[in-house]
Amino acid sequence: MTQQPEWEPKLLGFLCRWCSYAGADLAGTSRKKYPANIRIIKVPCSGRVDSLFIIKALRLGFDGVLVSGCHPGDCHYLTGNYRARRRIAVTKKFLEYLGVEPERLQASWVSASEGGKFAEVVSDVTDGLKGVGPNRLFSESKLDGTEAKAGS
Amino acid sequence: MEQKLRQEAKALLEHKKVDWIIGFAPGSLKFTATPLITNDKDDTERLVINPFMVNNLADFLTGLEGRVGIVAKGCDSRSIISLIQDNKLAREDVVILAVPCPGLIDLAKVERLVGKYRDELDDISRDGDKVTVTADGQKKEFTASQVLFDHCLACELPTPQEYDILLSEPRPPAPELETSGQNKAKLKETPPAERWRFWKNELSRCIRCYACRNVCPACFCQRCFVEETEPQWLMPIPRWQDNLNFQIIRNIHVAGRCTDCGECERVCPVNIPLRSLTREMYDIVGELFKFKSGMDREAQPLMVHYEQEEAEDSFR
Repeated sequence: MTQQPEWEPKLLGFLCRWCSYAGADLAGTSRKKYPANIRIIKVPCSGRVDSLFIIKALRLGFDGVLVSGCHPGDCHYLTGNYRARRRIAVTKKFLEYLGVEPERLQASWVSASEGGKFAEVVSDVTDGLKGVGPNRLFSESKLDGTEAKAGS
Repeated sequence: MEQKLRQEAKALLEHKKVDWIIGFAPGSLKFTATPLITNDKDDTERLVINPFMVNNLADFLTGLEGRVGIVAKGCDSRSIISLIQDNKLAREDVVILAVPCPGLIDLAKVERLVGKYRDELDDISRDGDKVTVTADGQKKEFTASQVLFDHCLACELPTPQEYDILLSEPRPPAPELETSGQNKAKLKETPPAERWRFWKNELSRCIRCYACRNVCPACFCQRCFVEETEPQWLMPIPRWQDNLNFQIIRNIHVAGRCTDCGECERVCPVNIPLRSLTREMYDIVGELFKFKSGMDREAQPLMVHYEQEEAEDSFR
């Protein structure tokens, strides 16, 4: 028998290519430590993130989603992050109403020079997810669910 | 009011002011009205106005070419304004025949109160705040708030704000939010896990007929994300996970366009309380961005507009 490893949350990050992705890069090159729980998808702009992506990620069994983009006013495309902000705010509130833990959808502004902040955000989000436990929202089983089941 | 409507509609067609008239004709069943889309001026004699004209006619606007005269209740007018905001329609291309609406009668509520099916009823008549239902020679009286649709009770705009021809005296709004929002308020008090289970249960009945989407004037995409295959966002089989996701996304996509007209809930063949979803989205949008869809023609659509400072508490 192999020993059951401690459960680690799986976090999906949508990072804007101009700020947050570069911020993540900087976190790496400046050797900041942050949890390896995040899987990163590079998007052209935080405004590219449709709510569909978020829901689909939760449906596929990710424990949480992090959307990160440039600070308001710093968008490479001028207004993309403002739009993302409206969309994410609405999505977050709506998911909360449906009964999804608010920790599962997180958003942040991280600029290209904020490697430290990026590391901080990822650690915070990961800790939050450890608090709420695995994503069993879409799993068939009601009681047991040590394994978050991948759908479709 | 009906006479005036028929005259006006006929005149519009005769003088070539419009190419089409959209309104209501008597339905084939008792206590129903059916949408009438016509370019024949004699057809206007069949136009009716009654408390059973439930459909949101704005849904038909985007499918017609040319100028259209449309019979609009308050809720329809909001959907029309919303379409104009989104550039799906030009204001000049639509002639709004405004019907100040006292609220529509929900037959399901009447059936529940009387304990009889709708075809066993002989008559339903309304006089002000009193609704009299006759069945087997017996008369039963109810108050309007007992038999009106929930979304009619919450109505903020009985008389269209934007119109070309007003068919009778305007009615002031008198929303009864408490009675109309009971289900949602009850749901909000339950713990999150319980709420998720509630929606899981409700949506497990869904047969994915897409009636809610097809009847929705705000759902005007040429190609809906549910039919996309590359990438396939949702499985087309009616499984509760995908059903629920469909509703979540649909609601997010129509945020700022949904006017809480309640059509999706009305057409649902398996009685999923969809209005408890749409109303929440309507409230969220109102609370976060002080935005009420379909109220102001000049307003920018919610999701293409922004303010410098807003909704920051969702962000780290």
